[in-house]
Amino acid sequence: MMSQLIVKTEKLNFSYSKSKKDIDSLDLEVPKGSIYGFLGPNGSGKTTTIRLLLGLLNKNSGNVKVFEKPFADHRIDTLSKIGALIENPSLYNHLSAKQNLRIASTYRANINKDRIDEVLETVNLLHVKNKKVKTFSLGMKQRLGLAIALLSKPELLILDEPTNGLDPKGIIEMRELIKKLNKEGITIFISSHLLSEIEKTCTHVGIIREGKMLFQDTVKALTASQSDRLQIELETDDKYRTYDQLIKMGFETKKIAHEEHLLMVSVKEKSQIPVLVDSLRKNNIGIYQVTIKNNLEELFLNLTEN
Amino acid sequence: MTTTTFYFKSLRNETLKLKHTFALWLTAICALLIPLLFFIVYIVKWEKLIPAEGVNPWNKFANEQIANSLPALVPLFIVLITSLIIQVEHKATAIKHLFALPIPKWSVYFGKLSIVIATVFVTYTMYYGLILLNGNVLGSIRPQLNFSEFSPEYVFHIKILFRSFVSVLGILAIQFWLSFRFKNFIIPLGVGMVLVIVGLIAARAPESIYFPYSYSMISMNPLDEKTSDLNLFWWFPTVSWYSLGYFVVFAIAGFFDIKRMNVK
Repeated sequence: MMSQLIVKTEKLNFSYSKSKKDIDSLDLEVPKGSIYGFLGPNGSGKTTTIRLLLGLLNKNSGNVKVFEKPFADHRIDTLSKIGALIENPSLYNHLSAKQNLRIASTYRANINKDRIDEVLETVNLLHVKNKKVKTFSLGMKQRLGLAIALLSKPELLILDEPTNGLDPKGIIEMRELIKKLNKEGITIFISSHLLSEIEKTCTHVGIIREGKMLFQDTVKALTASQSDRLQIELETDDKYRTYDQLIKMGFETKKIAHEEHLLMVSVKEKSQIPVLVDSLRKNNIGIYQVTIKNNLEELFLNLTEN
Repeated sequence: MTTTTFYFKSLRNETLKLKHTFALWLTAICALLIPLLFFIVYIVKWEKLIPAEGVNPWNKFANEQIANSLPALVPLFIVLITSLIIQVEHKATAIKHLFALPIPKWSVYFGKLSIVIATVFVTYTMYYGLILLNGNVLGSIRPQLNFSEFSPEYVFHIKILFRSFVSVLGILAIQFWLSFRFKNFIIPLGVGMVLVIVGLIAARAPESIYFPYSYSMISMNPLDEKTSDLNLFWWFPTVSWYSLGYFVVFAIAGFFDIKRMNVK
């Protein structure tokens, strides 16, 4: 059975100016219950897409359906089921964390009084709830922004670069929190320019470049599509002799520009690596390092860097 | 939720957002400044200010503070206060957040507009309250000034203050729209300042009846003589109606512009 799509766009187009298409015929499909990673380099149109989904920008053409209804006709109803954190969290610095949450809860309907402390607890800010936001660090502000997004127990959580400004510990906590929220049944849409982030948390992935969707499927499918090839980075004492030798053996080999000792080799499976090493050693080539490259990283770079 | 709950929720939030802001201090400072100045002058130079026998000292005292000082200062105050109150949102990059909440956009726009109007109204009230208070205090400190012998012409003052208040609503709506539209506060501030100065200079020309930035001046001295007499039953001059017209047009047109604006 096809799973229900929480967000679906069809041929979505948008441009800020006439000279350039910022979002180009984008088909986005976010299945219910997924953690959808929206991946792309800076300036590829991630935030623009999110703003289009929330009706902050006026699309030029195409359809946006959220919860299987056209967004434009059901704006308020739809937004009441969404929690969003877009770029920098929108916080009033001159007010306390609690007052910021109170403002957000007044705007929304039916939010229980205890819910404010509950979300502060979730993002680990309960101890500073009466402090003014201007005294907060970037990471704390990010977490407070998340708390505001969680306030109404949304069915869909949209997070734009949620790990921005967080320290490594904060990033790990954020990852855990996202997984926990997802287990509670919330569909989560995360944008990021870091593949590693998406790979560790997400079930689905969409890769965008210059406003176009390049790839969209499950993270498993993305990994599987690359599993027939392994990329190896090889550091030896003589790049040219190594290159000749590997070509002679029939390996697909690439020199890396500006690197004196590094080569990229493509092999079919891991068992080929010792064969390759033995033959190089026989030819008295000194091997300093053999590293298996992350396929996805490569794929992402290939996809997004022309 | 109904229309009214959306509106009142918005009002409640706008009031909370004003807490600890400079906008709030500005209203207090502006309301305080001129009455304080006059108070000091009357305390120091009281001998020269003793009124002639049988003359009501309140007339000179209040008229100078209302008719002579207000017209030039209120438009500047409007430019500043609208910009400051909306900057609270721009500084928090909150427009994107507000417009992604399950509330109609009009409740944000008109809720905020209402708060700006209320702030200006409160400033007028505080201003007049301070004039009255200062006069009474002066009366007890310097009995020679005769403040306690006479009473102020409340109705006359309230009429002219209200007329001044109505006359600035037009530019309030224009400035509000500009401040909402442009994140950079220099734009509404710069445009507003220039237009206010033009308005002050142009106020003498009869054509200025079409230029809302002159209305604050004109409202004190209406061009059509029929309604310039505040004792007449019909004391609401043409300029007030024009101001209300500008207000309605710009409040509504401004909202429709903001509603379809791309929030970046």
